[in-house]
Amino acid sequence: MIRVVALCFLLLATVLGFLHLDSHPAWAPFQAQEVVSTESESSHNAKVALIQPKSDWLPDTGAASVHAASLISLKDESLRAFWFAGSREGAADVVINSAVFNPHTNTWGEPTVVIDRITAEKSLSRYIAKLGNPVPARAADGRLQLFFVTVSIGGWAGSSISTMSSSDEGLTWSKPQRLITSPFTNLSTLVKTPAIPFADSRLGLPAYHEWIGKFGELLRIDGDQVIDKRRMSSGRSAIQPLVLVDAPEKAQAYFRQTRGSSKPHQIPVSETQNAGQSWQAQADLPIANPNAAITGVLLSNGLRILVANDLESGRSRLVMLAKDNLDTQWQTIDVLEDDEALAPEQRREFSYPYMIADGTQVDLVYTWDRKKIRHIRFDSNWIKQACSNAQAKTVSSEEGKQ
Amino acid sequence: MKNFMQTIALLEMALTCGTLLVWLLQRNFETQISVAARIILALLLANLFYWPLDMFMELPLAAYIRGVTGDLSMVSLLLLWSSVLLDRIDPRNTEAHFVPMGFKVAIVIIAFSFYPFALGLGMLDPYGWGYASVGFLIAVSIFAAILAIGNWSKGTFIIALAILAWSIHWHESANLWDYLLDPFLMLWALLACISSVRRKRRERLQSGFLFRAG
Repeated sequence: MIRVVALCFLLLATVLGFLHLDSHPAWAPFQAQEVVSTESESSHNAKVALIQPKSDWLPDTGAASVHAASLISLKDESLRAFWFAGSREGAADVVINSAVFNPHTNTWGEPTVVIDRITAEKSLSRYIAKLGNPVPARAADGRLQLFFVTVSIGGWAGSSISTMSSSDEGLTWSKPQRLITSPFTNLSTLVKTPAIPFADSRLGLPAYHEWIGKFGELLRIDGDQVIDKRRMSSGRSAIQPLVLVDAPEKAQAYFRQTRGSSKPHQIPVSETQNAGQSWQAQADLPIANPNAAITGVLLSNGLRILVANDLESGRSRLVMLAKDNLDTQWQTIDVLEDDEALAPEQRREFSYPYMIADGTQVDLVYTWDRKKIRHIRFDSNWIKQACSNAQAKTVSSEEGKQ
Repeated sequence: MKNFMQTIALLEMALTCGTLLVWLLQRNFETQISVAARIILALLLANLFYWPLDMFMELPLAAYIRGVTGDLSMVSLLLLWSSVLLDRIDPRNTEAHFVPMGFKVAIVIIAFSFYPFALGLGMLDPYGWGYASVGFLIAVSIFAAILAIGNWSKGTFIIALAILAWSIHWHESANLWDYLLDPFLMLWALLACISSVRRKRRERLQSGFLFRAG
């Protein structure tokens, strides 16, 4: 008798399970931006005076160590930056700070604390040892959503992702919620790179693991929960996937390489042809990578921009690279920082770049010697011109060799 | 549900800690406690873990443990609670078969096949099936039905409850795997299998010694 009751109960649970699956949203294509043809842009740009890049610093919080800055455009055309600050990376006093950039006055407002360790652990009802890597995104309903990393035990390999949202552009925030992304006590999932929107308004959050495996994953986020995920790479060689969407079904992911010393230290690549449902490894980009974060954007004029440490080791040089379509070579269009000429002990670290593009503006932030966060605002016309100049220089140097 | 999710998870962890203490008490002091007394004792001990002790700690004890372990699967929770608190078999008797060996072996095989791929071996990620795979739900239901046919209806109830919990989003996870399996369940099943093999080998050796031809 008990067996029959158990089987009937199982049948009921399975039917409820099927109903739950039935309400699961189908996988949607990416929300790809429209690419404006280069010819029409260039004829328009010929008349526009080039605006030079403007550089400044994110506001000082008095913390000894700052790192992992990120950006998002606000509805009033201003920018909000997030970064973590404390006595050192991974210390218990690390908080996530935020500040707003006024594009009219070209100034940053006073920094505020978005969340600290104690608030996070009380809201999440679990012990948290440290915070890190804030990554903002715009949710479908217009709210700001902030993803950040928390660690309860061990180093960054023990990370999990939490998220919270703001309906007033980052002035106040909801209680954080934990994203469950891994079956092994939810260990070792981190974020670093911007989220990408799907056509159904859900978010694709590129994440990565760095415990037993070091690989990238695309998390499909609905509100504050993961509703699906797909592996973007495997093994122990590629983290921090940066996804650039080419078309509704097509995207490329560029990674920070974490390979052994005997393997090529270049930027690994994966590609999807079905909106991120499956990814295939491609040939590396021929750009050196010293196991350091990269950032990039795809501009509306079709230009791909990357900012990276183009070295085999060390993070003392940071450059901006570009290419204007899938067939041409990557060109270094601007050297943002370079301490390579200095003695090794004098070289500073320029790392963790994060870049966004909004209209004709491209904004970049990066860690400057762990003491400050530098912000540079580029005009997309200036980038286009710099790319053309770099291509012309390459062509003339190749002709010179012949 | 979302408003109570953290409270529920903390209560579950506190009750789990209380239940483990009851199990330890029974094992160490070799006492057999009645079912009602076991439940009351576990609930009382759970209070120790649920409420902030407010000495040096910012959080309840259960929150510190949860920070390390995460949320346990429904299968782990229900198996532990039912075995320690509800079973009428003497829990001091380690020979008693609370859970069929076939189930433990199945857990070990599934876990050893699942975790390497889920943690990054190759591009196949079986953990992804737990979000929206009809095939995976059918496989889990068939496995649960086999348990009932194999005369362990408790296992069927436990897995059915895990499926129910997943379908109403009881925990933070939206993945069915997280309601069915966790590393602690795997570890328990593995240790139980090893212990059973060693016991059987010992028994075989002893019987061989007694009845060996002279």
